[in-house]
Amino acid sequence: MGPYPFGSGTAASGWAAADSGPQCSASEIDGLLAGAGYRVRSSDLLHVAHSLERLESAIGGGPADHLASAEAVRYNPSDLTTWVNSILSELSSSLPPLRPPPAAPVAGTWPDLTCFSLPYPQYQTAVIAATRQREEEEGSAIRLVHLLVTCADAVQRGDSGLAGNIIEEMRVVLTRVNTGFGIGKVAGYFVDALCRRIYSPCSSSSSASVAGSAADQEILYHHFYEVSPYLKFAHFMANQAILEAFDGYDRVHVIDFNLMDGLQWPALIQALALRAGGPPFLRLTGIGPPSPDGRDALREVGLRLAELALSVRVRFAFRGVAASRIDDVRPWMLQVVPGEAVAVNSVLQLHRLLGDPGDDAAAPIDSVLGWIVRIQPKIVTVVEQEADHNRPSFLDRFTEALFYYSTMFDSLEAGGGATQKQQQAVAEVYLQREVCNIVCCEGAARVERHEPLVRWRARLGRAGLRAVHLGSNAFKQASMLLTLFSGEGYCVEEVDGCLTLGWHSRPLISASAWRADADVAPLPDSQLFNPGIAATINSTSISGNDNNNTNNFQSMHHGSGNGNAAANNQQNNATCDGGVIGL
Amino acid sequence: MGDMILPLEEEEDMKRRNTFSINDNVDLLVEILGRLDGRSLGVAACVCRLWSSVCRRDSVWEALCNRHVAGGGGGPGTRSVVAALGGYRRLYRLCVGPVLDRLAGGPGRAGWAPTREEAAHLSLSLSLSLFSIDCYERLGGPRQRPASLLFLCKPVNVS
Repeated sequence: MGPYPFGSGTAASGWAAADSGPQCSASEIDGLLAGAGYRVRSSDLLHVAHSLERLESAIGGGPADHLASAEAVRYNPSDLTTWVNSILSELSSSLPPLRPPPAAPVAGTWPDLTCFSLPYPQYQTAVIAATRQREEEEGSAIRLVHLLVTCADAVQRGDSGLAGNIIEEMRVVLTRVNTGFGIGKVAGYFVDALCRRIYSPCSSSSSASVAGSAADQEILYHHFYEVSPYLKFAHFMANQAILEAFDGYDRVHVIDFNLMDGLQWPALIQALALRAGGPPFLRLTGIGPPSPDGRDALREVGLRLAELALSVRVRFAFRGVAASRIDDVRPWMLQVVPGEAVAVNSVLQLHRLLGDPGDDAAAPIDSVLGWIVRIQPKIVTVVEQEADHNRPSFLDRFTEALFYYSTMFDSLEAGGGATQKQQQAVAEVYLQREVCNIVCCEGAARVERHEPLVRWRARLGRAGLRAVHLGSNAFKQASMLLTLFSGEGYCVEEVDGCLTLGWHSRPLISASAWRADADVAPLPDSQLFNPGIAATINSTSISGNDNNNTNNFQSMHHGSGNGNAAANNQQNNATCDGGVIGL
Repeated sequence: MGDMILPLEEEEDMKRRNTFSINDNVDLLVEILGRLDGRSLGVAACVCRLWSSVCRRDSVWEALCNRHVAGGGGGPGTRSVVAALGGYRRLYRLCVGPVLDRLAGGPGRAGWAPTREEAAHLSLSLSLSLFSIDCYERLGGPRQRPASLLFLCKPVNVS
């Protein structure tokens, strides 16, 4: 049964009964029409039909039997007649007034209306046609949303038969909606995701196939970075906080939880180069997934950053840590040196460490936050999606995701020019992967466990971190960044010292900064520097240019980290590559 | 003989010596062209080879950037950093120019109307950040085309 309680059968029989001749009395017709949902007398109905027929012939559309089709949205005709009259009156001031029906017709038959032929200007017909089409599409869009939610409910209850039927119906509706943009496109993605969930359930083994395309993920990420301001906003806010926290320190160390292409760091390197008092010695530790095909992606990024730093005369050292999950990383791999200012930077990474909310077992997030705090960073920058996609109930997650990603896709569309359509499409695939993960996967395979800022506040507070206000400078920089993007709907808001970027007053991404409480015990040295690993350190110094910058080139080679971490009992999946490039 | 009647060529020669051509004084030309805005500089570069070479000088573009942003230059080290990242001319073309255009085009975002100094200072720091990203992308080699600044080249949505 569809959402409309009046199926086609009743209406058709109503009309058929009316056509069958003068045997049906007016009251019977009224009864039939009332059954079809029309609470109006048949005599009035005739007048409505006159107006509609006029409209129909003016549009030049087909025969009026679409009024009785299954998909027609039916309104109360007494309202309909005023609506039609208002349209006709505002558009046809030059036309002859509505002529009364020629003669009192025999009850139950329609008079011949072809004698009405009124000239309409072309553009008015186009306006009417467009209005009608848009309303059809809006009706279909609302129907799609309703069907999606119903299907998700069926999936939650385990009724895969019903869910399958609804998916078929949705695919039919999708053919009638423009799937190039708007709700049609988003609905298409969600329908695909639901399909995948029902027919090919995502097991933890298939998550490897998704993660295995790490190079693809980088390309998608890059396109998403180019097309929309969210990642740029994230990077700029984090850099601003890090820059302010590093004020006055001569040796600084940044730990990036997801290096990707390293696009965040050129701006920081440049800002440090220009800071008053000269640039510090910058160390960057980039964590990223291991490269499958032997290329050392982390090292390549490090080399490029080092080249940039060399050109602007910032002493720079890079270290790559290859780990497929952040909870595989141990503090000793980061090689924190006492006396340096440490910054931890996590852009859209912490949510991957969360577990199911009802689960009391310690989620990986707690252990990771634990060692973050005990490294005693001067600043921890956290950027996360502002959404609630980690609820225990599938239906809740689904509806939340539907509205979140509709807003997100809307914002992508608004920002595009003709040249960017292709990039936009790739950026949308990036988002589509997130959608699939949220909808299809469960358990350990589901990594997109977004939580809203208020929950992150509580969680980070429990771990021993205190919020640092991002400051008005950051807000102004964000606002200025937004003026460069042509979509006019972006808005930056400040919430208790954290900044959120959203689309039309729906916040979509939030950036916040934290620092460790002073009274937390630091990590013991045995965990910061693991003596179990044999390390050979070669250091040669290359005397610099006429500025007398002494640059140290250090290369550290470690044995592969598997199982060598004597301090830990669990199997350690992270390897510490000897990819240290220093300048 | 009374007055000397000079032959025509000599008279014209004297006229030439007494007239002044801007192209004779490159320093003066630099001073004048250095006060133009970005578009006019581009137009001036099409006049002749001398003007084109003057317009390619980074100092002219440096003066332009410093005039519009940060009210007097970002500091002593800025010049070397900008030179390392690609030069003021490129900085203006890719970042400062579009930023200024966007700022001039639209009204301030709701809730924040910058003062002139604020806008100038922020434009410079923002431009430099974007510029460094562009430079970094170009370091990626020929296989990677720098695209992070494409969003600046789009026409402003005035709807």
